[in-house]
Amino acid sequence: MPQATSRPAAYAARLHGVSKAFVPRRPVLDGVDLAVRAGEIHALLGENGAGKSTLMKILVGLLRPDAGSISLADAPVDLDRFTPAEAVRRGIGMVHQVSALVPAMTVVENLAFGDARAGLWFHPRRARRAAERLAARFQLEVSLDRRVEDLAMGERQRAEILRALGRGARLLILDEPTSVLTPREAEALFASLRGLRDAGRAVIFISHKLSEVEAVADRVTILRQGKATASLSAREADARELGRLMLGRDVPPLERPARTPSVAAPALEIRGLCAPGLSEASRLREIDLRLDPGEILGIVGIDGNGQRELEEVLAGVRRPTRGDVCVGGRRIAPRPRALRAAGLAHLSGDRDGAGLISAFTLAENWILKGSHDDRRFFRRGWLDRAAARRAARAAAERFGIVPADPDAPIASLSGGNAQKLAVARELDGDPSVLVAVNPTRGLDVGSARFVHDELLARRRSGGAVLLISTDLDEVLALSDRITALVRGALAAVPPGSDRAAIGAILLGEAAA
Amino acid sequence: MSSLARGPAALVRDAVPPTLAVLGALALVGVFVALLGYAPGRALTALLRGSLGSGAAWTATLLKASPLLLTGLAVALSFRCGVWNIGAEGQLLVGALCATAVATRTLPGAPAALVLPAVVLAGAAGGALIGAVAGALRATRGVNEVISTILLNFVAIQLVALAVHGPLQEAAGAYPKSDALPAAAMLPAIGRLHGGLAVALALAFATQLLVFRSAIGFRLRAVGHAPRAARFAGISPELYGWLVLALAGGLAGLAGAFEVAGVTGTLYERISPGTGYTAIAVALLARLHPLSVIPSALFFGALEAGAGAMQREAGVPAVVAQMVQGLVVLLSVGLSVARPPRARGLRTPEPKRGID
Repeated sequence: MPQATSRPAAYAARLHGVSKAFVPRRPVLDGVDLAVRAGEIHALLGENGAGKSTLMKILVGLLRPDAGSISLADAPVDLDRFTPAEAVRRGIGMVHQVSALVPAMTVVENLAFGDARAGLWFHPRRARRAAERLAARFQLEVSLDRRVEDLAMGERQRAEILRALGRGARLLILDEPTSVLTPREAEALFASLRGLRDAGRAVIFISHKLSEVEAVADRVTILRQGKATASLSAREADARELGRLMLGRDVPPLERPARTPSVAAPALEIRGLCAPGLSEASRLREIDLRLDPGEILGIVGIDGNGQRELEEVLAGVRRPTRGDVCVGGRRIAPRPRALRAAGLAHLSGDRDGAGLISAFTLAENWILKGSHDDRRFFRRGWLDRAAARRAARAAAERFGIVPADPDAPIASLSGGNAQKLAVARELDGDPSVLVAVNPTRGLDVGSARFVHDELLARRRSGGAVLLISTDLDEVLALSDRITALVRGALAAVPPGSDRAAIGAILLGEAAA
Repeated sequence: MSSLARGPAALVRDAVPPTLAVLGALALVGVFVALLGYAPGRALTALLRGSLGSGAAWTATLLKASPLLLTGLAVALSFRCGVWNIGAEGQLLVGALCATAVATRTLPGAPAALVLPAVVLAGAAGGALIGAVAGALRATRGVNEVISTILLNFVAIQLVALAVHGPLQEAAGAYPKSDALPAAAMLPAIGRLHGGLAVALALAFATQLLVFRSAIGFRLRAVGHAPRAARFAGISPELYGWLVLALAGGLAGLAGAFEVAGVTGTLYERISPGTGYTAIAVALLARLHPLSVIPSALFFGALEAGAGAMQREAGVPAVVAQMVQGLVVLLSVGLSVARPPRARGLRTPEPKRGID
């Protein structure tokens, strides 16, 4: 329960000189100051590894800082007794990227669930009235009686925010909240956040998307390498300046020179492809597409509309029920080795699951996909460890992967460095087609830029790239042509469509 | 670690936690023994004398270690591939059964040079077959191998019982045991030490090469760490799970053949004192490294060999040795979790999804 105060607090949270090091002399946080006023949306901006995660874990009571002080609602916090439960009691509510709601329960049930005041018994009507009052008070529109699993992501997120508010949160922390939303849902979220701000709640909005920060934040604090490099009013800074503050250098805009249409045979052609899906909505229905050499074709869509299934078919691990996949004009059996041999490479954003093995070393990951046919590393059934190490070290040095140690396990690399290794490996055989699926998911701006530059370099040198991504900005920035994947079928996106128009197509609202 | 390079320093570092686990378990059991009113010093002395104190004691230790080495390798190989094979016991029993059947029923009068290889191969094949049954169920029907291998252990126990009460029962028909194996079917031996021990040692080196130097080993480790990533790399987790269960079954079946053809000379119902279950402890203490299974098997072999002496000389019940076994496993698994690997110390593990 929030503490009743006679006058409203000026600051929802103030952190002063917060430091944390997991290893001596390697601080993850180094004297960070963060001041969040009551009634403001405060963006926390920073690359992966900048310390955002650690800072927020300290604020929600999961970690204890080595030095520094915290006050909440102008009252100091005893850090020795600051547990997650105490943080909730003091009005901090965390809204996670991945929903912490129980999917099979209704919104009302979820709101009552785990509420300390509810007592031992569940009173359906009382719980429903409480939920109604809460939703009305903060003007958050949620279908209270539907199960969470039936809600769209945007509504699910509103339910999650409601739950935090229902527990008395006066400071909401949202962790990359737009990563699962369509552009329209993101707009609605921003409107909700503004409403909360006007109701006197404070919001910490974690993001690495500069445009969102500009759109919604009142103030911005930028973290770089464990230090708060700046804290400024959002109106003072433009995206470019924020990017410089975040990275410590200028990020020039991507350049994508115009393409001369190719007359050669298509690099990749898919005809009448159908494949079973994880859900009815993600079953692939009659996919037809053509990808030319020197072209980037963007396939945009919301998660769960068949992206994963299409990726798996093109990687050879999901059997299509019907249809052909042709690489360089030849029909290829959709098996992993056959597709790879035909010149189709696969770069996954699901690095841990589909691309790399985190317990394996750099060298072992470098040779992972060649264990059946790569004579450089596997001969007569034996593994040439020296050759694998040499090749991995060379690649690591060429692409600036840290550490450039072929015997280091992937688990010891940052996400950006791991993805660099995956990119280097996939491009190593000079494939004619690269299927890149959410290639920058979870990466910091610098690493994402590296991946984008590599994709554009492929295109320049005549390679074809199929970019399947849920990140609309990424698809818009890189693609020569865009098509949408909606409920397992491709939907045309007219050239020159803007974000709003594409958003409508993704929601299936475009005029048929 | 699955690093391609494993220098001497890494070997020493990897040896620390298991050693601590062994010492810790002995100390804890010592305290327990003292609380029960026995003299822990005398118990330990008796244990050591019974396992390492004389030529005969060493022989007993090595004879106990031999099947533990083979079944330990079987378990280590399976676990490396992410296959939780609890069936080494059953695979050993079926191996012993098939070896006995070949030796006493199929080839009693065959040329001497043929008999022993046939008996040994029959044991390996029998174990491999029952392992492959679990592998096939797993690969085609998705049956969890923990369940299937445990249940197949019971099948194997009953198969042996059926055989020694029926088709394989001795000609005299007095006891539920098989005829004695003909001399040609027995392993060559020095004193009581049979040649199977040398084969087991050679197989430890072979398994080490298979796991860390061969393409097949590379693939099965890939499957063990990340089946989905392995599938994307063109490696079928089902195929390798099946293969590894067959290979492990072969190793355990060999252990069974060596028991009848090297130690007992006959098949009877309780031929295995839970060797296939102790094998899990052997493999875990060795941290699934085939070469480390050698010292691990020796340790557990010594424990079994010394337990009898401990009961005779110090009056401490032999089951105390089983407590040591259990505690060693708990401590070694606990220590390996508690000790962060070198690389992990540098940074907190990245949350799967979360802030950042």
